[in-house]
Amino acid sequence: MSLKLSSTLNTSRRSFSPPLFFSNVKRTPISNIRIPRNRSVKSFTCVHERNPEPIATTSTKLQLLVSEFDSLTEPIDRVKRLLDYAAVLPGLDESGRVQAKKVAGCATQVWLEVVMDERGRMRFRADSDSEISKGFCSCLIMVLDGAEPEEVLGFKTEDLTEMNVGVGVSHVGIKAGASRVNTWQNVLLAMQKRTRCLVMKREGKVFAGCNCFN
Amino acid sequence: MEAVVPKLASFNLLNPKSKSKSAIRRFSSALCVSSSPSVTSTDSVSLGHITRPDFPILHQEVYGSKKLVYLDNAATSQKPIAVLKALQNYYEAYNSNVHRGIHFLSAKATDEYELARKKVAAFINASDSGEIVFTKNATEAINLVAYSWGLSNLKSGDEVILTVAEHHSAIVPWQLVAQKTGANLKFLNLNDDESPDLDKLKEMLSRKTKLVVIHHISNMLASILPIEEIVHWSHDVGAKVLVDACQSVPHMVVDVQGLDADFLVASSHKMCGPTGIGFLFGKSDLLSAMPPFLGGGEMISDVFLDHSTFADPPSRFEAGTPAIGEAIGLGAAIDYLSTIGMQKIHAYEMELAKYLYENLLSIPNIRIYGPKPSEHVQRAALCSFNVENIHPTDIATLLDQQYGVATRSGHHCAQPLHRYLGVNASARASLHFYNTKEDVDEFIHALNETVSFFNVFK
Repeated sequence: MSLKLSSTLNTSRRSFSPPLFFSNVKRTPISNIRIPRNRSVKSFTCVHERNPEPIATTSTKLQLLVSEFDSLTEPIDRVKRLLDYAAVLPGLDESGRVQAKKVAGCATQVWLEVVMDERGRMRFRADSDSEISKGFCSCLIMVLDGAEPEEVLGFKTEDLTEMNVGVGVSHVGIKAGASRVNTWQNVLLAMQKRTRCLVMKREGKVFAGCNCFN
Repeated sequence: MEAVVPKLASFNLLNPKSKSKSAIRRFSSALCVSSSPSVTSTDSVSLGHITRPDFPILHQEVYGSKKLVYLDNAATSQKPIAVLKALQNYYEAYNSNVHRGIHFLSAKATDEYELARKKVAAFINASDSGEIVFTKNATEAINLVAYSWGLSNLKSGDEVILTVAEHHSAIVPWQLVAQKTGANLKFLNLNDDESPDLDKLKEMLSRKTKLVVIHHISNMLASILPIEEIVHWSHDVGAKVLVDACQSVPHMVVDVQGLDADFLVASSHKMCGPTGIGFLFGKSDLLSAMPPFLGGGEMISDVFLDHSTFADPPSRFEAGTPAIGEAIGLGAAIDYLSTIGMQKIHAYEMELAKYLYENLLSIPNIRIYGPKPSEHVQRAALCSFNVENIHPTDIATLLDQQYGVATRSGHHCAQPLHRYLGVNASARASLHFYNTKEDVDEFIHALNETVSFFNVFK
């Protein structure tokens, strides 16, 4: 795909790597990425990179995301940021928005595609009928896309509470895990379940409860 | 429907020889303390303004600075101080197991628990408190009817009529029982006005129909059904009627004798009472003929190793230690509601319902589900809606986090209804008598800004 990323997610000045799954996207420091004022991303420029190596570890990417959202105290600003992230999520076409790829338990519809690339790293694509859910998925993918399976499986729900932007999360910092509608948790659990499935498949084993969606 | 305003004196009429007269006197005096609202509302001070001080939870800011506007009452109601005090008082002063205890505390707990049962009976004008079975909630009550009455009365070829708008709790137990018995479930669709098609219901009713399971007020459509007529048509073909009154008992006068309902269920937590308690009303002759649902203590008469004999209703259906404090809390909630008067509550909520609906219509590209209100068609004080191109969960999230307005988004335990209407989810605002027009104004303002916000991002 040909993408022209022409806007800024203008908060932290730290370097940031866009999702590696967007294999044709130029890795640009966060301060140099611009998003038009009207928030609609019309196109993305891309510079093809062969065998991209992750600049940051999963843990580093998570911390960057956390500090980015931490700096936004008003809920509307956090929602705006989520919508910015939603705008850069490539999404799935109609063939991807199918029942088999649906994430169970979300209040909105979320579809998730999980593949293992040729180097054994996990790649994720997602879509949703809700812009905020798309934003959540985009954030999760930014942290976990390109990670080793063990990193994906080791990512804990508690790590998500640091992001503190979920539905049903109060300023007191109560765990966002318990509610049925928690998109973060449901999507992460689906990512992990399907990752486990693909790892087992690679090892020639069958994982009980695996539907192997891809 | 006849108006019924239970008075405290009527408790004596239900059981003149009751030893709980002293309990009634204690409750009378308890009722006079602080938490009874003065309900002589004037034009300028609504019932909502008068009663709000009784609900401590409403007076808070969420997310640090947003004043709470609670509009999720169809999901659960808030509790007045009187109920909180009743619960605390139970656990502080006389918590004890009921029915078989010998000592002072046990006798007192038993008295108050059974008094609560009498209060429920009086509240819905049941002829005898023995027709009230305490359950965990309405869902458990419906399961009780399904597994006890259903399994012993339904056979292959029998029909149970429900509507596509029923709550999951009114559908799933019957699916399970239909599988076991071979009975068929038939679903009544909606008419053009998005209300259950009652003309079609008359056609569907036949000698094969053994039961009609139907809501009084829909938690999504806000439709209010003529239960008295539905019961009449159903009885004509020999069918019983189970009324889901979860959204009606808290908001209007419900008279089971006037309706002639066979079974009726409601949950305490939707009527200003605590969670963990609800009730089934069943006509005496029906309950007497029903086998037990759950087995255990309290519901037995004698227990041997190879068999047991069972208690009469309602005990037969109340296995184990009940939610004693919660039942007493429900009794306190009924006292509180009765002091205001259900007719007054209903009249006020009808005003609010109209105000909510008319103001919601002003939102661009909004679709409100359920019948349009008119001279002949009343809606309950709730609206489920969608705004074109914006996911209801996105709306509800921003309403909550930016404006402190608590609404609900999803399928509201009515997936078949949403599928029927062709949507995945909807947003819902639902009011209760402690809401005010100002609450509605704040909701509408927040919704307008929320819709504008998302439209800009699209």
